[in-house]
Amino acid sequence: MRDKTKQLWYVIPLIFGMSLLAFLPVREKVADELEIGSKAPLADVKVEDVSGKMLTLDKVAKGNGLLVNFSCNTCPWVARWEDRYNPIAQLAKENNIGVIMLNPNSGYRNRGESMKDMQERAKKSNYQFYYALDKNSKLAEAFGATHTPHIFLFDKDMKLVYRGAIDDNANSAENVEHPYLKNAIKNLGVGKEINPQTTKSLGCTIKWPS
Amino acid sequence: MLYITKKLKILLLGLGLLTGALSSSATASGSVQADTLLKDVNPAELKQVIKSYQGSKVVLVNVWATWCAPCVEEFPEIVKLQRSYPDQLQVIFISADFPDSRDRALEFLKKQSINWTTYFKTGKDQPFIEAISPKWTGALPFTQIIAKDGSVVDSWEQKAGYDKFERYIKKALNQ
Repeated sequence: MRDKTKQLWYVIPLIFGMSLLAFLPVREKVADELEIGSKAPLADVKVEDVSGKMLTLDKVAKGNGLLVNFSCNTCPWVARWEDRYNPIAQLAKENNIGVIMLNPNSGYRNRGESMKDMQERAKKSNYQFYYALDKNSKLAEAFGATHTPHIFLFDKDMKLVYRGAIDDNANSAENVEHPYLKNAIKNLGVGKEINPQTTKSLGCTIKWPS
Repeated sequence: MLYITKKLKILLLGLGLLTGALSSSATASGSVQADTLLKDVNPAELKQVIKSYQGSKVVLVNVWATWCAPCVEEFPEIVKLQRSYPDQLQVIFISADFPDSRDRALEFLKKQSINWTTYFKTGKDQPFIEAISPKWTGALPFTQIIAKDGSVVDSWEQKAGYDKFERYIKKALNQ
């Protein structure tokens, strides 16, 4: 009995202390994007493509590297940039760079981001590259991806060499002044330095699992 | 006849000036005309707008768009906060809608009964993002809470509810 009373002396302050934590302001994590030079994370994790094929980033990568695009079906920004998706995939192919697009919107799988929705989008838009489902947004989390579209380009050693935007004009491919990603792919293909290495653009926040 | 026409012109001019003055002096407690309800803003102007409240009010910057579901969901919560803290807080809404959706943004603001000036992003994304926060990666919605002394209390890229917004506003007010 005395032992139990003694235990309570430890447990009560602990419970009280923990309950106080609930009143502290919660500082939400600001995602840290993968740093330039970092290795591609979770490159051996299997993801399912719209074709039903199981892929890994390692397997999709080609001799000169890998392009990863976090994208989705429901974002208007993706819709605006989508006319550049196939030409960029073609350019990557010509430069011996593999391409995969990952859908990280786990929180919207019943709101237009299911595998079935992805298959329909891939067919409708005639995607000429892999479009795989990022289950529970694990890859997006590991990459520090925050929005769609969000670009990550890796070199032959799977080290990050470019991160950010496709270009500087979502609204019009014709009026692009700085085709950041195309330039990065071309430079990576011939072993030239990439500049800028990071850029920013607006996009739809990733719908994380609840 | 000529005299009457001249008088009429003066009267109309006076009315025009009066309307302009009323619309430009609108505050959180008044009403605003369509042209001041949603004003075009470039990065330099935006910095100035935010800075203008330094020393007088806590600022909540919120970047939203009509096509952004989480933005539209949290928007009324932020409006409620502006109404709860009229003297201590200034909400600065910035629409990042595409230029061809400007009218849609304006309609949304009217439906939300917004009665203070909000802003419409112009120009390219990168300078706009950097003008607001170097920590912002570009995801929408984006919120930033700024204390009266101009220091950033916190910022985030996901949707939030009334309680979270209020918690950070109170934190800013106590700084």
